[in-house]
Amino acid sequence: MPSNYPGFGYPPDRETMSAAKVKALESLLIEKGIITSQTVDTVLSHFETKMGPFNGAKLVARAWVDPEFKDLLVADCNAACQQMDFPEGMSGAEGEHMRVAENTPEVHNVIVCTLCSCYPWPTLGLPPYWYKDPTFRARVTREPRVVLSEFGVELDDSVEVRLWDTSGQIRWWVLPMRPPGTENMSEAELAELLTPEAMMGVATVKV
Amino acid sequence: MFTKFEHFAATSLMGSSEEAPPRQDGHLQFDRDWEKLAFGVAIALSKQGYFEWEEFRQTLIATIAEWEATHELDDPDWDYYQCWLAALEKQVVASGVLAASEWEALVAQLLDCKGPTAAPPTNQ
Repeated sequence: MPSNYPGFGYPPDRETMSAAKVKALESLLIEKGIITSQTVDTVLSHFETKMGPFNGAKLVARAWVDPEFKDLLVADCNAACQQMDFPEGMSGAEGEHMRVAENTPEVHNVIVCTLCSCYPWPTLGLPPYWYKDPTFRARVTREPRVVLSEFGVELDDSVEVRLWDTSGQIRWWVLPMRPPGTENMSEAELAELLTPEAMMGVATVKV
Repeated sequence: MFTKFEHFAATSLMGSSEEAPPRQDGHLQFDRDWEKLAFGVAIALSKQGYFEWEEFRQTLIATIAEWEATHELDDPDWDYYQCWLAALEKQVVASGVLAASEWEALVAQLLDCKGPTAAPPTNQ
């Protein structure tokens, strides 16, 4: 269907044009002194290196190798964050209290939320598409074992499934179990094994 | 509640699957370099107060709605960051960061030369 909006009546080389436009826009803004050549990098570095699932992965890996740290993480996630070399604003702001639910051989935890702003973004990064889906939320509440098995998490009948509603007040996330066969791994190697899904409780950690 | 503008800006886009940026494994997913630049420029301008983030968000939602109204839902030409860029262009002009004439002249110049080399020289 043809578009009446000129912006969408793109030429075949819209890729080239878009790339050129963005570069020209940035250059012009720099020229006018509105932004500097560093501004965009600074914004992007926030997402790439400061806040994201790599923080949760570091916390979990530390907890796996240090039982005292694990106790602290489960008792007071924000205090545990403060022991790490994390950027300012990572935790402790008003209302942004994170809590960690620990997976054990007896209990498997899963987080759900109706509002994605309640997702524990500093430790897990941006939420996946399906997280916001009302069907996912409804189904995981009604038939968690079936949903988990669709995600590839097969639980023994004896394992209790607990759902945690992450909210504006408390942002829950999951401390997964350390997989067997990782006894000789370093903390950094362990952190590499973690995925956002594992820290949401919809995946197990695989070697 | 949000301690960082970047945090606020990204999470406020999570309202619907259409307006939310592509992401993978908890990270923003950029397939092309210019997407990163467009994303960063929009946040940087709002962070510095040139427009409210909500204004940009509404412009983005309207731009996406406009695209959807004129295309089939499974149109393979759907491209999130093309909409983002179109919204950013509208926003910089609407909020007076650039004069409409200034931006139009620059686009016309690019169309003439059809390439990144058409970008004007900068002082940086």
